[in-house]
Amino acid sequence: MKSLVNEEEISEVAKLMKIDLEDHSAHIKRVQKMLEYFDILDKANVESEEITVQEIELDKLRNDKHIPFGKNLLKFLKSYQGKYVKAPKLN
Amino acid sequence: MNLGISALNYVNAIKNNEFTVEEFIFESLEHINHVDEKLHAFLRINDSAIKNAKEIDAKIKSNQNVGRCYGMPISIKDNICIEGSKTTCASKVLENFISPYTSTVISKLHSEDAIIIGKTNLDEFAMGISTEFSAYGPSKNPWNNDYVPGGSSGGSGVSVAANECIASLGSDTGGSIRNPASFCSVVGLKPTYGLVSRYGLVSYANSIEQIGPMTKTVEDSAFLLNIISGIDPNDNTTIDNKNQDYLNNIDAGVSGKKIGIVTEMTNSDGLSTDVLDANNDAIKTFEKLGANCEQVSLQMVPYTVAAYYTITSTEAGSNLARYDNVRYGYEFDSSGFEFNSYISQARSKLGPEVIRRMILGGFVPSAGHAGKYFLKALKVKSKLITEIKHVFEKFDFLISPTVPIQPFKFGEKINDPVSLMMIDFNTVTANLTGIPAISVPYKITNGLPIGIQIMANHLGEHSLLQAAYALEKTVDLPEVSI
Repeated sequence: MKSLVNEEEISEVAKLMKIDLEDHSAHIKRVQKMLEYFDILDKANVESEEITVQEIELDKLRNDKHIPFGKNLLKFLKSYQGKYVKAPKLN
Repeated sequence: MNLGISALNYVNAIKNNEFTVEEFIFESLEHINHVDEKLHAFLRINDSAIKNAKEIDAKIKSNQNVGRCYGMPISIKDNICIEGSKTTCASKVLENFISPYTSTVISKLHSEDAIIIGKTNLDEFAMGISTEFSAYGPSKNPWNNDYVPGGSSGGSGVSVAANECIASLGSDTGGSIRNPASFCSVVGLKPTYGLVSRYGLVSYANSIEQIGPMTKTVEDSAFLLNIISGIDPNDNTTIDNKNQDYLNNIDAGVSGKKIGIVTEMTNSDGLSTDVLDANNDAIKTFEKLGANCEQVSLQMVPYTVAAYYTITSTEAGSNLARYDNVRYGYEFDSSGFEFNSYISQARSKLGPEVIRRMILGGFVPSAGHAGKYFLKALKVKSKLITEIKHVFEKFDFLISPTVPIQPFKFGEKINDPVSLMMIDFNTVTANLTGIPAISVPYKITNGLPIGIQIMANHLGEHSLLQAAYALEKTVDLPEVSI
């Protein structure tokens, strides 16, 4: 099956990813080429395959206990007030 | 002074008082000064290296306990954090980022008295195979400066090949250690997923990436793996390897071992005849050493590059969301900005390849497309894992060329995204399945290196290094002239 991905669709995703470039036509063409190549996945004949996920047993996880980091990470941010990070307004 | 000595020989030379740590570090820095303007392996040099060397010399003189590295200069890919110093990932977004903590691998190296000589160049956020995507300009292949050194750990590969340091740490998501190892003629090991802690490695595709050594010899890779491997409470994916000694019996040989020649990796469209010849040569060598080599098919391999890029882009899209101008990459005040446009401003500093992978990473797992791309990629990964499990019931190792082609010229492939992806054809299988794989320098053809890849079963590093050592001992490669 030929890929039906069009420029508009990819532009929309770019916007959702908060990537807003002045001229993104060159990127879009390359992304399209990569997606066209990904069509090869259709030939892999894996529809019936189960997806395996990495599982870690609960007792192998570290204890659910607060460990102080020991460093004031806020001071690594250049824009903060007291214990709050300054971020742009949400409309 | 021979700056090209191996890590093990360096340790012996220091123990025998042939030179001091300070003398060796001084010579190394002079050499870097002399050659790195041309090679651009390093993004930054450690200003305290001489001071560190003096401290270790003092420990040696006063018969105090000295760590296993005895002050050897090691370079580090610039996506691994060291507290109080810059980690840029070769990106403009992190140009001024100072790491607030030290990665586990660096803590381990420090506790063994290694000297971190500097941070090396990479493709931005480790996305690339040539260092051409570094925001600070590419590194040059020491064998021929018109050619790429491979990537993404290209700076690490160059720094070891050009004797600017004794060894390096890189990271490998789809071949980023093995590819530059092959292109620069050094040894590069991608360990089993979980054998080395990723705490303090800047995440790109964290479900498959690993830190690993790049060295002049196979023994040196075993030496470094002894130091950096093992369980880490700060990385829940790490495995307890019971302090295995990877140097022990490294000369055990391959007699009686069964080696599978991966058919799909030795008859692919893009495979160069020179590379195929080298691989056939290596197979004959293994047979002479007493191994049995036969063809084996991994039917999922033709789909692995597409699966790999689908999965890694998805993870990159999520991992790179943190570069939002608030937590990282702060340049200007947020007042007067609307939320989305402020973050978009931050992202406009990302390089072209990173932008593309983020767009891809938003697209392939999205509603309406996940079934065609992301879920199918995960199914290819699952089936490949099943195939690998079956294959290792019969075989001890798998062999293939590390990269289907030799180093290429700058600019030759940068405008063709599909041919760039295909360079990963032989390396991504080890990442998708979590198995260890090593690239061993094997041949110099037309003045450029060719590496051979050997893969082993999950946690099979000990025998993998034995096989790599056996192959390495049969070749006598020329020195690179710089």
